[in-house]
Amino acid sequence: MIKGYAGRILEVDLRTQRFAFAPLDEETARLYIGGKGYGTRLLYDRTGPGIDPLGPENPLIFATGPLNGSVAPQSNRFVVVCKSPLTGGIGNAACGGSFALGLKKAGIDVLIVTDRAERPVRLEIDGDRDQVEFRDASDLWGKGTYETQRLLPKRHEHAVIGPAGENLVLFAGIVSDERIAGRTGVGAVMGSKRLKAVSVRGSRKLEMDDPEAFRTYTKYVRQLFEDHPVLGESMRRFGTGAIVNTTNGRNILPTRNFQRGHFDRAMEISGEYLEEHGLKGVKSSCIHCPVTCGRDVELEGVGRVKGPEYETLALLGSNLEIGDLKKVSEWNYHADDLGMDTISLGATLSFAMELVERGMLDAKLQFGDPAGVTELIQDVAHRRGLGAELADGTKRMAARYGGHEFAMHVKGLELSAYDPRGSYAQGVEYATTNRGGCHVQGASMYLESVGPLTINPHSLRLKADIPIVQQNLACAINSMVLCIFTTYGMIPKQIHALSPSSWQHRALSFALEHTPGALLRGAMGIKGKPMMWYEKWLTFITGTTFSSGHLQEIGARIFNLERMYNLREGLSAKDDTLPPRMLNESTFPGMSSGHPLHLLLPSYYKKRGWSADGVPLRATLERLQVRT
Amino acid sequence: MPVTVQLSYEMRKALGVSRVEIEGARTVADVVRITRERFGPAGERFDELTRRAAVAVNGILASYRRGMKTPVANGDVVAFVKAAAGG
Repeated sequence: MIKGYAGRILEVDLRTQRFAFAPLDEETARLYIGGKGYGTRLLYDRTGPGIDPLGPENPLIFATGPLNGSVAPQSNRFVVVCKSPLTGGIGNAACGGSFALGLKKAGIDVLIVTDRAERPVRLEIDGDRDQVEFRDASDLWGKGTYETQRLLPKRHEHAVIGPAGENLVLFAGIVSDERIAGRTGVGAVMGSKRLKAVSVRGSRKLEMDDPEAFRTYTKYVRQLFEDHPVLGESMRRFGTGAIVNTTNGRNILPTRNFQRGHFDRAMEISGEYLEEHGLKGVKSSCIHCPVTCGRDVELEGVGRVKGPEYETLALLGSNLEIGDLKKVSEWNYHADDLGMDTISLGATLSFAMELVERGMLDAKLQFGDPAGVTELIQDVAHRRGLGAELADGTKRMAARYGGHEFAMHVKGLELSAYDPRGSYAQGVEYATTNRGGCHVQGASMYLESVGPLTINPHSLRLKADIPIVQQNLACAINSMVLCIFTTYGMIPKQIHALSPSSWQHRALSFALEHTPGALLRGAMGIKGKPMMWYEKWLTFITGTTFSSGHLQEIGARIFNLERMYNLREGLSAKDDTLPPRMLNESTFPGMSSGHPLHLLLPSYYKKRGWSADGVPLRATLERLQVRT
Repeated sequence: MPVTVQLSYEMRKALGVSRVEIEGARTVADVVRITRERFGPAGERFDELTRRAAVAVNGILASYRRGMKTPVANGDVVAFVKAAAGG
């Protein structure tokens, strides 16, 4: 077996309560690494078109990669893959916490859960004894994710759902510790199987090709991260909430259901404010991560809990016009405990508020007013009253009540907290990302709107190229499996130190912006020596050379396979779009329209090697060895 | 309507306010000058911190337009922004 892998897939059938270990396929691992890549390959091969995402035929795949279990910083993540009940296309979500480490210690690279249990069940997996026990979970059904984890065996690592998953909320997630695989409704799929929790333990160690080189280099990278202004300073002090004031200043902070990009009370929901008023301590949010981006907050009557991330601060804060950090923290806690994605939840709530504002929905909801929201969040998770409708997400709400032009989703997945009208590359990424309107499948905005060296977000230059490079990289990162935040370390501290008004900063910005797209993609595609830390880690662990070019190729392979999956499920170029508000309404003075997607999409397709209607060409699939 | 100046976190820590409103500015350079004068003796600190932040007029970086000569009008929001990362 290739080093870095446990070499085993565990398949569990919930209906028959049988399980079997099978060897990991080395060729698939070489082509797709692991995590999201391997999981997508399995989903594509094991299912036919048109399956019901909430039916027993939709497998729920938990996948790790060769970096998991290695103690490399930020290598604590697993990916869940299945057909999404929210979008009808590819579903996947990555999660921190400790479950990935548990799987690897149990000697399991991939866990496939199939069919459906007759009554609530939980799994206890002992990798040392190669045993899987099917335990009755009736006593846990209905409990929150935090209490559930407290009640589960202490020596195991867990992945659980809350009431939202049990009640098939279409944006329910799966929780490990205080982290959530939030997007695309993977928790609803777990709930549809009546699977409350998976607990796993083992004592196996990861085998590496060159452990000494790995140890020495990892020590160096830890120090690099410690000294980095983003990973070692900003994120550590303020968490991801540090970005609120930046997006607000750049007019891309979603406000009032994306009616504006600027919120007057942004400072009051920012990471900086959190540090001054709400933070009670910092803890290493995920195992082996020196960045510690997680915040803790003290909630009255609850105690110390995980604080809100940037996306939550924006979608449950500014986008509802709520400038009350305590309220947002409270809602964040409830959403996590109930097991729901705060992005989709916040966006669906803001959509409902705008429906009410326009007289299209009769409900006691309004922008800027927190009254009733706490109760409504509970109602969503339990599918009660209006909550039952909100539980189906924005797209279905729009089908029911109208308001398509201000329904903020792509392919059914609610938009993240970067308004693409001030971030054109991010808009192309939203429109084309296979799982829908999400920011962590490329994070193009870092290079044009929020990072230390950004290109003009309103020019068309590079706006079709950056998403391709970033999406490919993100596919590879999510297959190792590493946290996407690692890419924020790619811009060295010397550049962060430059004054934005200095000639050096201006010269570098100019050079970046005027780099031909073909040169950018070509340079990233060179198969040479490993340069970045994650390339070196992969190389030291597996014994196979990984460079930027290798990862771009593997990432493109995964991305195209996802695309083929979506096409098979009936999605097409018509779904590669942005909400009409994003295309037609401007939030910038002097601009008469929104995002110029129609000018960028044809170029994106061509550079991807796709036809004019967004279908990967045969030559592209053959070059990338994508079997369909 | 005055021009609203949104200060960075470091400026807020140093100067005690997160935003000020000013009158009479026609360019970004005017905004910096008038805001500095507003803070009196602490204006030097403000000046120093402007070098660590980019400046955006209604969300668009001045560096993409005419730099310090970028025009501003009443009702505009001029923000001092720092690079950040999140997700």
